[in-house]
Amino acid sequence: MTVPIVELRKATKKYAGVPAIEDIDFALLPGEIHTLVGENGAGKSTLTKAMAGVVPLTSGQMLIEGREVQPQTPVEALHLGIAMVFQETSLVPTMTVAQNLFLGQERFFNRLRGIYIAAQQFLQTLQFDVDPTATVSLLGAAKKQMVEIARAVLHKAKVIIFDEPTASLTPEEKKYFFDLVFNLKARGVTVIFISHALEEALLVSDRITVLRDGKLVVTDRKENFDRARLVQAMVGRDLSQTLYGQRKTTMRPAGKRVLSIENLRMAAMVKNNSLSVFAGQITGVFGLVGSGRTETFKVAAGVIKRDIMYGGEVLLNDKPVRYLVPAPAIRDGIVYVTEDRKLEGFFETKSIADNIYLGFLAKMRGARKLVSKREATQVAERLIERLNIRAISKDVKAIELSGGNQQKLVIAKSLVQEPEVIIFDEPTRGVDVNAITEIHQLINRLADEGKAVAVVSSYLPEVMALSDRILVCRMGKVVEEFSALEATEEKIMYAAIH
Amino acid sequence: MIGALRTWTDQFLGRGAAAITVPIFDGALKPNQILEQAEIFAELEAPEDLATDGTSLFVADGASVLRYDGDTATTAVQVDRRITGLAIAPSGGLAVALDGTEVRVIGGPNDGRSWTRVAGKRLNAANAICATADGRLLVTDGSQTQPYDRWCHDLMSLGRSGRLLELDLADGSGREIANGLAYAFGVASVGKDVWVCESWAHRVVAHGEGRWGLPVVSRLPCYPSRLASAADGDYWLTAFTCRTQLVEFVLRQKAYRTRMMREIDPRYWIAPALTSGNTFLEPLQGAHLKMRGIHKPWAPPRSYGLVMRLAPDGLIRYSLHSRVDGKNHGVVAAVECYGTLFVLAKGRRRILKLPVAELERRLLS
Repeated sequence: MTVPIVELRKATKKYAGVPAIEDIDFALLPGEIHTLVGENGAGKSTLTKAMAGVVPLTSGQMLIEGREVQPQTPVEALHLGIAMVFQETSLVPTMTVAQNLFLGQERFFNRLRGIYIAAQQFLQTLQFDVDPTATVSLLGAAKKQMVEIARAVLHKAKVIIFDEPTASLTPEEKKYFFDLVFNLKARGVTVIFISHALEEALLVSDRITVLRDGKLVVTDRKENFDRARLVQAMVGRDLSQTLYGQRKTTMRPAGKRVLSIENLRMAAMVKNNSLSVFAGQITGVFGLVGSGRTETFKVAAGVIKRDIMYGGEVLLNDKPVRYLVPAPAIRDGIVYVTEDRKLEGFFETKSIADNIYLGFLAKMRGARKLVSKREATQVAERLIERLNIRAISKDVKAIELSGGNQQKLVIAKSLVQEPEVIIFDEPTRGVDVNAITEIHQLINRLADEGKAVAVVSSYLPEVMALSDRILVCRMGKVVEEFSALEATEEKIMYAAIH
Repeated sequence: MIGALRTWTDQFLGRGAAAITVPIFDGALKPNQILEQAEIFAELEAPEDLATDGTSLFVADGASVLRYDGDTATTAVQVDRRITGLAIAPSGGLAVALDGTEVRVIGGPNDGRSWTRVAGKRLNAANAICATADGRLLVTDGSQTQPYDRWCHDLMSLGRSGRLLELDLADGSGREIANGLAYAFGVASVGKDVWVCESWAHRVVAHGEGRWGLPVVSRLPCYPSRLASAADGDYWLTAFTCRTQLVEFVLRQKAYRTRMMREIDPRYWIAPALTSGNTFLEPLQGAHLKMRGIHKPWAPPRSYGLVMRLAPDGLIRYSLHSRVDGKNHGVVAAVECYGTLFVLAKGRRRILKLPVAELERRLLS
């Protein structure tokens, strides 16, 4: 019988007495690709963090190749051959890519040029298109993820744990990533792969483990799973009737043109881009990373600025607007729900109620001298109920919420501003299946209420399930438009690439 | 002073009125090839306008009006001058605009009534007529400075001298409803309001009780032309060409325009046209560029064909196109008659025929 490379017996981890994982028996076989799936809060991250020495187990045993170990730090775990690529980037933003790659492995006499050359060669072997001399803070989410992955591979770990590695990658980059994973497997490396994308799990895994509410529900070979069984195991109920993953069969007629972008230019990212968003419809915007879709909508919402000279026009209800900051855009009725909720979405040390109320105050003209606690409570309770944000109380800090509830909080912050145009950028990134369903239902409800909704997403099934019309961006501009009924994944992807 | 500074900074930075931007054809205006693939109903010498009484189609062709009952054409009216606008008079007969300088009723109880001056000004470029249910005629006089044929001169001069007129068939009086319009071309009676197209302003505006110049549709990516009633209370709006950044740029360059108008044959101006691709001397119409080893077409359109269906609230429901690589360009009129849409593509001197039910099934289902 094969000895598991990592084995957990009766593993339990409690935070303040509340179990995040409980009595988990888990075995990782050498050279396999093992996927962990489950809703947010199911315990996937805790389980892998325990293996990687980020958090110690409260009780239970951990064995590596039959030998009991208790890694207390990530460095100890790395010495035992376990490396983890975190969902939240752990790179040093002010250093270059090469410096981050070799951080902790520097020689006494360090030659920067030598590091750059080595990093360049190494990144090329992984087919990652990342400049080793670039400062990490200037990289996009996808490229930061690539650097994280590259760093783990560089450490020659026997087990590499990837926490949501593909969430920020484009389809092309995902393909490279999966090739890399298969390469690692061929070299005998064991891979643990946490993902919300069930298709990916079914595609790349040898075995799949489903966790729910901190307990292991099932582990089986991937051949024995299909999508329905996975979802059933994850949520404990049948979600086949929900919107998730289903194609649209009807589309809403367009209302009046609310937001219009004409010949917009923004540095090298947006090149003469034009599009419209109509009331009572969901406009899906698909494109690969770097296609300028996010930047276009950020300009419209005043998050970033267009070119100073001949930057094009943004029109709200046919009137030209030019926002230098988001506040006037919010007052006029344009809100942007960010793709990076942890960085731009909320104040993580503030409570749910405070965060929602801050969104409410942003709609006001000028600074308020006095704020009302009662008003804050009323506003927060209304939004918490409307969006079904699950928390013990409204005073829970944002950082303590699960990914799905954090995303709902960001949306609540925006909806409290009673917008006319709502721009969702990757609304379900890093969110569990149940929350995806709820967020999709909310987005549909907003369109039914007559709001102009734009959904920017890299996830094709999501774009196709939500959108009444689909715009495809490539190289800084919209290159194709499809109605929901005529669109296919092949057509959209072809337009996005060619 | 502040306004002058704003204008200067706008011109310097390319913002506001100096932003050379063009709305996009998307949503209901998403391009298709329906006009290009439409059946050709007739090819004529000099078609100018269409009208219908619900059973027959009337076509102004040069100095005559042709009446089509089914596919059979007969000459209904012959006059001595070219007809530039046509409508069925409310109490019978036809109302025609002659060379843009006269509106005359031919046939019916008001036969022979005509107007050459309204509100003290001569008719100069009368180009569209609409009859109202209460016995009036609504007329658009495109420009006070340029005759009917020289519409492109009016555009290049940034003309704003169009008028919307109301003529009373009973007593022969006339009044001006609106003036200073950026080329009035196309009019429709919509309840108590009057919709009029301002081609150079790329919009349709409503005039009526308490609503003067209120935009019904604005920021169109094209130059709108005539309006006509459709079934179910909707309206057909045509556009004879689309806007481009190149033309928008030329319109903002006064010295260039002046010199171009002075020295260049109007056929070769950088300006919209009803048809194009006739000679290599015309401004570039189609080209290609190479991207990642693939040749991609790149076509700044000079002429275009477009028909839009408007709901009574001004929303565009769907549109029919003849794109830059097509032929059925310069659409100036469309009328619906016994469930069929007839479209006049003046650029090719063609009348196109499209079944409305089939269009709706194709575009709305």
